[in-house]
Amino acid sequence: MAINLKPVDVAVVGLGAAGGVAVLPLARAGLKVAGIEAGTWMDPAKDFKPDEIHNNVRGLVTTVPKAKKEIPTFRTSPTAQARQGATHPMMNAVGGTSIHYHAQSWRLKPWDFKTRSETIKRYGASLLPKGSTLEDWPVSYEELEPYYDTVEHEVGVSGKAGNIQGTLDPAGNVYEGPRQREYPMPPLRTCDFLDHMHKAAKSLGWKPFHAPSAINSQPYRGRAACAYHGYCDRGGCHVRAKNSTCFTTIPEAQKTKNLTVFDKAQVTRIVADASGKVTGVSYIRDGQEYFQPAKVVLVSSYTYENTRLLLLSKSKAYPNGLSNNHGQVGKHYFGHWDAQAGVGVTALFPMDVNTWYGAMLSQGVVVDEWADDTFDHSGLGFIGGASLCTYMEKHPIAAASMSTFGRVPAWGSKWKQFVHENAGRFTGTYLQTNSFPYENTYLDLDPEVKDPLGDPVCRVTSGPKENETRSSVYAQNKMEEWFRAAGAIEVVKGQPFGPALSTHTYGGTRMGDNPETNVVDRWGFSHEAPNLGMLGGSVFGTSGARNPTLTMQALAWRTADHLTKNWKSIAG
Amino acid sequence: MPSEISRRAVIASAAIVPVAALTATAQKPPPSALSDAQLRLLAAFVDRLIPKDELGPGASESGVPEYINRSLGDFLASEKPAFTEGLEGTDALARRTQNAAFVDLSPERQDAVLTVMENGSAEGFPNARAFFNRARRLTLEGMFGDPYYGGNRNFAGWDLIKYPGPRLATTADDQKMGVEIKPYHHSAYGVGGENHGH
Repeated sequence: MAINLKPVDVAVVGLGAAGGVAVLPLARAGLKVAGIEAGTWMDPAKDFKPDEIHNNVRGLVTTVPKAKKEIPTFRTSPTAQARQGATHPMMNAVGGTSIHYHAQSWRLKPWDFKTRSETIKRYGASLLPKGSTLEDWPVSYEELEPYYDTVEHEVGVSGKAGNIQGTLDPAGNVYEGPRQREYPMPPLRTCDFLDHMHKAAKSLGWKPFHAPSAINSQPYRGRAACAYHGYCDRGGCHVRAKNSTCFTTIPEAQKTKNLTVFDKAQVTRIVADASGKVTGVSYIRDGQEYFQPAKVVLVSSYTYENTRLLLLSKSKAYPNGLSNNHGQVGKHYFGHWDAQAGVGVTALFPMDVNTWYGAMLSQGVVVDEWADDTFDHSGLGFIGGASLCTYMEKHPIAAASMSTFGRVPAWGSKWKQFVHENAGRFTGTYLQTNSFPYENTYLDLDPEVKDPLGDPVCRVTSGPKENETRSSVYAQNKMEEWFRAAGAIEVVKGQPFGPALSTHTYGGTRMGDNPETNVVDRWGFSHEAPNLGMLGGSVFGTSGARNPTLTMQALAWRTADHLTKNWKSIAG
Repeated sequence: MPSEISRRAVIASAAIVPVAALTATAQKPPPSALSDAQLRLLAAFVDRLIPKDELGPGASESGVPEYINRSLGDFLASEKPAFTEGLEGTDALARRTQNAAFVDLSPERQDAVLTVMENGSAEGFPNARAFFNRARRLTLEGMFGDPYYGGNRNFAGWDLIKYPGPRLATTADDQKMGVEIKPYHHSAYGVGGENHGH
């Protein structure tokens, strides 16, 4: 029998990057919040180590293995047999994957929010990606700007503004949308290799700048500055300089006494009554089932689980899954075309570049000339492009696994000589391509594969796309140009095969004014269940050419803020 | 002061590390996953991937078989049957095509066996290529991973590729190009890297 818990105002399902931010404005407004998290707390002194085998090879920076037991299946077309992935890209902990993410913290561009109408206006409808279900977002950059600003300051973001209220500064990204003020901290430290790449980009007439990141470049609100030790990727920060929600907004919300964190609690269903309102969530902790009644439920459990939870939560009012009477849950899903999708470029230099240490993408230099609609696409046959980022941090096993650029065999004495000379001389890069939703790209429940509770896992259907292949290849060529200008002697470009399971996935509960094609409204609340809100990348309608986290957090703050201001009409 | 705060944090972290190391050294290695004969075969195999030469020790001297053996005994236990099957397949291939056990072949003839495995052209050994790739991957992990796990003895792997070693904090000078960074021979779990934990 399920144990009924004391009712709360709001139940937040998942305390990661998005849910972990939403709890703060809710708790500050005096609402009683239950933060229900499958994982538990991590301890920087004990759990975060400069150890590639622990972090990267074995993926042990995690707590409760919930995600690992419900890895989605994947197929490239609706007629193919889906196979379960080897690993889940995300992990469970208080703070979620924001504990070991790369922390680049971008605002999307004004263009990302109205890609459809801007494309039609500038190039005509024929350039819209074939088969795409692209719509303009119901939110503009200008509407989101105050929330970006709030989150940049509450979480703590380092960077250099390129556009403050229309005044451009080439030290920052001059292609960004106008912001009301400077970042709260300057960018992370530069270094020799980044200076070298910066100079090379300038020699091409491009406008390079230092990446914005949710890592402290200086002490901020009682937390230390980055130590640049080089184990940022998939490793938590031992000095708490990476501003995961477990060090920032979650503890801040706990100070109000209005947030209670329920850890190791695996949510299995969101419950709705006959009128169509949600009444709370069911979860399992240590084998015992609980029911947490709540006036409002916010779901922030990552893209795959957001869709799966809704589809699993069937009721009289929602026979096809919660908030799915229009059949849109799982639709308009897409993954980001990035390094995880084969959009990589690697370069070999004739000199030691010494990129061993640092803070991954956050200690990076970016070129934004070839992303979004910054350049003229007339006659190119695609929309969008990619941001190009060169970065620091290289681990020894990964370094020894380097490409031999066709120069030597992959083992033996010649190989040994090669890595001896060249492990310090190569570097990768990070490209992120503007990616879009399509009719034949979606999430549903797998008909065969189940998790240990007997519930079907999420099934991902996502195949190759002409537009994104072309824009990715175009951007890879620009990256090669940049590396050549910097003196690279070999450049290898990956084959953009398209996203499979990824840390950058979007849609499934898309945001839009039209309930026929979208699950949530412009505020992030369901078109069908009025007191159900969705948070995270699952509400995005386009990806942008940059990391999604800050936008997820700005939207999460905005949804929570809207809830506090309209409490009576939403909570009823 | 930024440096003061990170320095304190680093010292606090450093104070934790030797405790873990002590616990680790007190542990006995897990029971061997591989037999003595399998370990001899594995050592011969990995020494062709990373041979001992003028650049330094080879894979077996650097503890790579130890790393793989320990991994198959715990974290990779589910992989043990496939791995031992791969080792047996390698030896059978050597006997079929070179008329001797793999360990008794000359380095050149051992390379010939590994080459057909790598190419996927080993007749009667359908998983040869997958096993070769897996063994190579585990060899890289053992050679270049933290010595805590039994490989990278005396930091031979890190010295080979000139990786200057994990530290808790670095300065702008540690990120300079064109200068030799002094290697820092420390495991993430304690100074020596001679631990037997995992």
